[in-house]
Amino acid sequence: MTALPQLIVSTLLLGGVYALIAVGLTLIFGVLRVVNFAHGEFLMLGMYLAFWAFALLHFDPYLTLVVSLPISFAVGWASYRGVMRPIVHASHNVQVFTTVGLSIALQNLALVLFTADARFVRTDYYAVVVRIAGAAFNVAQIVAFAIAVALTAGLFTFMRWSYTGKVMRATAQDRDASALMGIDTDRVYAITWAVGIACVGAAGVLLAPIYPVYPTAGLQFVLIAYVAVVLGGLGDMAGALIAALAVAAVEVVGSYTIGTAWKEVLYLLLFIGILVVRPAGLFGQRGAEALGA
Amino acid sequence: MKAVAPATVVFLCAGLAPLVVRDAFLLDSLVLVLIWGSAAAAWNVAGGYAGQISLGHSAFFGIGAYAAALIVTRWELSPWLGLAVGALVATAIGLVVGYLSNRLRGPYFVLATIAFSQVLLIVGSRWRGFTAGSEGIPVPFRPGFWTLGIADKRVWVWIALALAVLAYLVQRYLDRSRRGYQLVAVREDEDAALSLGVPARWLKVAAICVSAALTAACGALWAQYIGFVDPFYVFSVDLSVKFALAAIIGGLGTALGPFLGAALITTVETYLRAQFGGLGTGLIGIYLIVYGCALIVMVRWVPHGLVGWIGEGLRRRAAPAAR
Repeated sequence: MTALPQLIVSTLLLGGVYALIAVGLTLIFGVLRVVNFAHGEFLMLGMYLAFWAFALLHFDPYLTLVVSLPISFAVGWASYRGVMRPIVHASHNVQVFTTVGLSIALQNLALVLFTADARFVRTDYYAVVVRIAGAAFNVAQIVAFAIAVALTAGLFTFMRWSYTGKVMRATAQDRDASALMGIDTDRVYAITWAVGIACVGAAGVLLAPIYPVYPTAGLQFVLIAYVAVVLGGLGDMAGALIAALAVAAVEVVGSYTIGTAWKEVLYLLLFIGILVVRPAGLFGQRGAEALGA
Repeated sequence: MKAVAPATVVFLCAGLAPLVVRDAFLLDSLVLVLIWGSAAAAWNVAGGYAGQISLGHSAFFGIGAYAAALIVTRWELSPWLGLAVGALVATAIGLVVGYLSNRLRGPYFVLATIAFSQVLLIVGSRWRGFTAGSEGIPVPFRPGFWTLGIADKRVWVWIALALAVLAYLVQRYLDRSRRGYQLVAVREDEDAALSLGVPARWLKVAAICVSAALTAACGALWAQYIGFVDPFYVFSVDLSVKFALAAIIGGLGTALGPFLGAALITTVETYLRAQFGGLGTGLIGIYLIVYGCALIVMVRWVPHGLVGWIGEGLRRRAAPAAR
């Protein structure tokens, strides 16, 4: 098993970024009770932000990250105000189709504005590889992993100890009781949505130096995020973190043993399996799927 | 019978159109409207009547398309046989999918169906030995009705119309029968329906099976009409959304709605493509931006679709007269 260290390293590097995508998605679900089907498109917009900042202004993607966080937060806030706010209390069908519609519109907006060409952020260090103990690390992947972990940790801290975080958790637990306690739930929803979008936007910036950027680039990542989020229990942030690593492990081991062409089938079947056997996820509350909550 | 009158007019017009219209472009559009309308109606059986919102219905469409194309290219049999095989396979898979996803509601069901169609997309595009992989399958043209090698678009209109009427009648059955009422009860409140002794589980599975079989039939005819099966198109989430969008625009859970919706989006799509397609390849996405916005606007402001909207307008006009 000489490949073992490499498999572990690859899993961690991949899982770190998946976790950042999944945590934002599960946070939004936990508080707003909405599955954001447009999550991948916000990831794609983050990737394009990194690309254009690099191509036009010669910004390093990691410098872009500093501006991308407030920009994605603002975009998130605006999309909440414009699109999500009226349907927060609507039926599941309305919520599903609203975010699906948002996803289609954003994806094709990118197609019209930026064309379908795959674009690359070619930094000076993109091909630099470090070898330690028989495992190869790509520098861009290491940096992406480190920043993703830092951001995820920051989000956990924010949720755990800040006043806003506590308010968000209270709203997730019981939105009516929170409203009765004087919490402005509408504002909480806006903040939650915007924080979730800021997370996935940051993940997009981090992925841009590693993967090609094109209008449907978000789909492959967000599918993985759905798997992770359901596996961890929808709405459960710690669960999503652990599950993101588990999904990364399945993907890495799958590519190693059966080849990259079929690895997606592995985690999709895992996904369907979880939905059938235990849709509440590993750590979620049993029966949540039947309530749709 | 009042509810059937508009549909009779619509389908009669579609059936008589080939006798009058000679323009190949218009006939082509009509065939596509009828096929997409039937697919949207098939989706409506599960999504509209049973409330099983699926965004993986392209899987069944793809199964039908592949069944017809493979039976023609690999075994040189009739595509009609392919259509039957596709519908049977789709029913069987619908049975499994419907049974397994039975207790999933809301977004969970949507996620499960998306994952399912993605699995078929990967199988269709990577299993080179059987499906020809990502290159897709060109369907050979062999003249004759039995081989569906029909150059005359008027005949295609009638074939597609037969399918459309079948899909319409299935929905009419749900509008009027005991089973249909039970299904709507399950959609509105599954627990209440269960407590009244409605076999909710099997009704939902049956609705998905019927829906799957009809969708596969649409896929089979579409593959023979277009002459090419591309896995990335027939199994795409976009296609599933297209079925749902047509049903939502027309009116969820109404029998005629999906056909109106399909007519509208096919026309808008053709128009926008003609308007903006020439300006540059990047602009082909414009009609999809319109789709996306239409979806957001429709579910929020016109939740009962065109049929509901028109119906409400008629009632409002009729009400003062009655007084």
